[in-house]
Amino acid sequence: MTSRWTQGLGRLLLSRLFQAGLVAWLVGTLTFILTRSLPGDMAYRIAAGRYGYDMVDGAAAEAVRAELALDQPAAGAYFSWLWDLLQLDLGRSLVSGNPVIQELSHQLGHSLSLAIIAVLLSLLIGPPLGLVAGLKPGGMLDRSSEVAANVLRALPPFAVGLLLIMLFAVTLGWLPVAGHGSALHNVLPALTLALGLAAVSSRVARNAMADVSHSAYYAFSRTKGLNERQSFMRHGLRNAAVPVVAYLGVQFVYLIEGVVVVETLFAWPGIGHALVHAIVARDVPMIQGTALVMGLLFVMLNTAVDIACHFLDPRRRHA
Amino acid sequence: MTSMTLTTTLLSVEALTVDGDGVSIAPITFALEAGQRLTLLGETGSGKSLIAQAIMGTLPNGLTTSGQLTIASHTCAAADTTSRRALWGRTLALLPQEPWNALDPTMRALPQVAETHRYVAGRSKPDANSAARDDLIQLGLEEGLNKLPGELSGGMAQRVAFAAASAAGASIVIADEPTKGLDAPRRDDVVKLLAKTPDAGGALLTITHDIDVARRLGGEVIILRQGQVVERGPAEQLLNQPQTEYAQRLLSAEPSRWSDPSPFSHQASSPVVSASGLGIARGGRQLFSELDVAVRPGEIVGVVGPSGCGKSTLGDILLGVAKPGAGSVIYQDGMPRLGRQKLYQDPPAAFSPHWTLNQLLEDLLRRHQFEYRAVAPLMERLGLNQHLLDRRPGEISGGELQRFAILRVLLLKPRFLFADEPTSRLDPVTQQQTLSLLIELAREQACAVMLVSHDPALIAKVCDRQLALAG
Amino acid sequence: MTAATTRLSSRFSLPQLSSRQQLGAFLLALLLAFAWLVPWLFDADPARQQLTRILQAPSLAEPFGTDHLGRSMLARLAAAIRLSLGMALLSVATAAIPGVLLGVVAGWRGGWSDRLLGSLADACLALPGLLLVLLLVAIAPGNFWALYVGISLVLWIEYFRVVRARTQALVTSPQIEASRLLGFGPTMLFRRHLWPELAPQVFTLAAFGAASAILAMAALGFVSVGLRPPTAELGLMMIELLPYYHEAPWAMAQPIIVLFVVVMSLNLLAGKDPR
Repeated sequence: MTSRWTQGLGRLLLSRLFQAGLVAWLVGTLTFILTRSLPGDMAYRIAAGRYGYDMVDGAAAEAVRAELALDQPAAGAYFSWLWDLLQLDLGRSLVSGNPVIQELSHQLGHSLSLAIIAVLLSLLIGPPLGLVAGLKPGGMLDRSSEVAANVLRALPPFAVGLLLIMLFAVTLGWLPVAGHGSALHNVLPALTLALGLAAVSSRVARNAMADVSHSAYYAFSRTKGLNERQSFMRHGLRNAAVPVVAYLGVQFVYLIEGVVVVETLFAWPGIGHALVHAIVARDVPMIQGTALVMGLLFVMLNTAVDIACHFLDPRRRHA
Repeated sequence: MTSMTLTTTLLSVEALTVDGDGVSIAPITFALEAGQRLTLLGETGSGKSLIAQAIMGTLPNGLTTSGQLTIASHTCAAADTTSRRALWGRTLALLPQEPWNALDPTMRALPQVAETHRYVAGRSKPDANSAARDDLIQLGLEEGLNKLPGELSGGMAQRVAFAAASAAGASIVIADEPTKGLDAPRRDDVVKLLAKTPDAGGALLTITHDIDVARRLGGEVIILRQGQVVERGPAEQLLNQPQTEYAQRLLSAEPSRWSDPSPFSHQASSPVVSASGLGIARGGRQLFSELDVAVRPGEIVGVVGPSGCGKSTLGDILLGVAKPGAGSVIYQDGMPRLGRQKLYQDPPAAFSPHWTLNQLLEDLLRRHQFEYRAVAPLMERLGLNQHLLDRRPGEISGGELQRFAILRVLLLKPRFLFADEPTSRLDPVTQQQTLSLLIELAREQACAVMLVSHDPALIAKVCDRQLALAG
Repeated sequence: MTAATTRLSSRFSLPQLSSRQQLGAFLLALLLAFAWLVPWLFDADPARQQLTRILQAPSLAEPFGTDHLGRSMLARLAAAIRLSLGMALLSVATAAIPGVLLGVVAGWRGGWSDRLLGSLADACLALPGLLLVLLLVAIAPGNFWALYVGISLVLWIEYFRVVRARTQALVTSPQIEASRLLGFGPTMLFRRHLWPELAPQVFTLAAFGAASAILAMAALGFVSVGLRPPTAELGLMMIELLPYYHEAPWAMAQPIIVLFVVVMSLNLLAGKDPR
């Protein structure tokens, strides 16, 4: 029995592992190109950023130059850059001087909690709404949720966030505008992301459910004599869930992009915020670290979706 | 005609009508007693499936129905759909069209049958499972118990659907086109399967376009045309001595009653295509091996065999579209590349739906520098009206489109034509017209034809000899 | 619509727009008219600062008011729409042409060219799109071309995947096999069989792609890593006006509304999601 459940899982995980390697290589290469394209006085400016303009001298700038291997020939520097990456030696932040790993470990927790709350919230709103709407396509709920979804899809997460801030924080004064600390600080950023995710997942669930409820097998399950609830639980739910869960993989693209923007808007001390800061400050090791972690997070989430689909849909285990 | 004693009448339909959305069924009345069988026979578009849906109470939105139904002593108006819900599965079972699609694609065969035992018949979980297992094994599905519908053949899926539909012991079974897409041996199996219900004291209502199925099932037959009852009576009598003109036409379109084609007269000439020692494997399975074929000009060779035995693949090899795994194909001297042509099973699939027939014809004429004048006489022979040329493939009937396909092919004066079930999607009357035209023209042009069909009677009638592929 | 006009319009291959798509086309036409008529009818420079007239409410002289540097909101919005739509058009064209061509090649030829192009697309998909764009933008900050290359690099994959899948299915279909047997060459097969099937999907992808290009540019502007001030760009305008929310909520709302209408019109125009 167990072999039937795990059949094909290995190949699936292997291809995701390959994708993780690809992410590391892409991030490493792009950030390496970044170090090479820095203008000449960059080492000085970075050193100034780290120690203050008064303290900067030739020795400090030289240290920065060595850290980024700006003084070595390109090919050799490229391989040592990737070699460091492979050993997870991400270097030190050029701004704070702390090891990148240390900075990331703080930020990752914040980003993860935001992302998890947002995904759970979106799953609570989107698919149930879509399933109910899909049972009666063309009904009131279906049409009004379609309009709502269309509006939300046309608003990027930062615009949704701005509107929520204006409504709940500024006008009503119920929730804090930005920052981090209490549980209340979670509400607006998580809701911003969740609304965007739910807008799409509700429509995916709706279409999946409508397809299922119009399918010959759903009709047959009813004429066999099962009542509505039994038909829905035994034949509706799983068949509708397969595309919804599979589409989550696509939605994680939106989630990762949303994390960058929403964290910046709400001054949330997570990875996305750190990435934007690092780009503005041209803190190359931090850019590399944050992009790497976000890319790997994306791969991990997709792996989770793959595994969920694998167990949900027996057809995949036979392909 | 309805000599009913109240105790044994299982299904009685009185003045049932269906209306709306461009279809209408004139009032129809019939009754089925325990142990009886009734078959509704008609071409596609005759509205016969709507009668099944009206009895079940599953008509699509936009269609209205009237009349009175009595189902195992429950009497209700046909328009009152909710009252029949409780009878589904328990008294009234529907065997769906295309059983492949009617089974849940993500659930294995056994639980799909067991759930009827459990939730409809109200058995305990272990009892339901063992009952379902027994049902399926009895139907010869021992190795299919744990398979998903996608892994079952059409015939196996039909048997699983039958077991699932009748597990709760419904005494009335309605089968809607139960043999659609099945080859001849599977079709006979389904007929035997269906006969179990009346044999066990139930009632069977079958809806089909297949005269042979009606004949094998026996009992009463009603012939329908465009929503009207044309003729009714016992199968034996009706199918052998039809009284009405339409019924006569429909029955004379059965291949066994066709008139014989003109005899083949090119025995001596050298073959157009000959192949020796052909063999090919697909998906790890050897379809055929050491096969020798030769077709002479004007000869009609039938190809028969169960579905999946490689009939179409053989065609691809002889046409030069696919390469054989073993053996070789030799063409007659001077055979041009365009001398090998093919006709397809599903005419709309063989055309791009976006262009008018005229455009497609012009493309062909321009490509091969034909005169438009050559087209008109051939169109007339094929019974194709000029005004059809302004339409697109989806806007004309399947029979017309297949004749247009024949027109395009014959304009190229082919020497070898592979016809892959060219009439299996057509109504019997249209099938007869189309095939006899094709054969007549092929004989005239001395074009060799290989004709694939799942209907042994048809092959026996029209072909000079046949090639049987084993499964 | 009568059968005659249906036939006529399809002969000249005018797309048949649903009412939803017609609404989208109408909104888009309004935006285009606004963006190109404003500089022509009003003497307004999106970059001219008038520090004496900051954050003025809409009036007859300034129908949309002024921003925190006294610049005309009317002129800035028109310029921002031109920038967004121009950028969208450019990146969609850059993505669609190679995407469709490579998709047809991969789907038609199969074999190693399919595997090679497929892995290339997978490599571009390994990172979420915006992350890839961010990294490219980090190399050349504030540079329009980095933004454009990044967005096109993300967008082409969708065309490639959709076209490849559709082509694969069509190439083995009876309709193409029949035409091949009748002696038609690749050009004719493409014109008669492939393009009519692909065109509506490519159109839909193009509209969705334009919307995502515009959203990506605005997102980068909003987090201050995209185009630099004083460029009039929707995301940038939002973040610049955010601090003045209390004094001039109407100013802050304008770029949000414009972005919403632009994306909505494209989403409506796209019609049904092909995925």
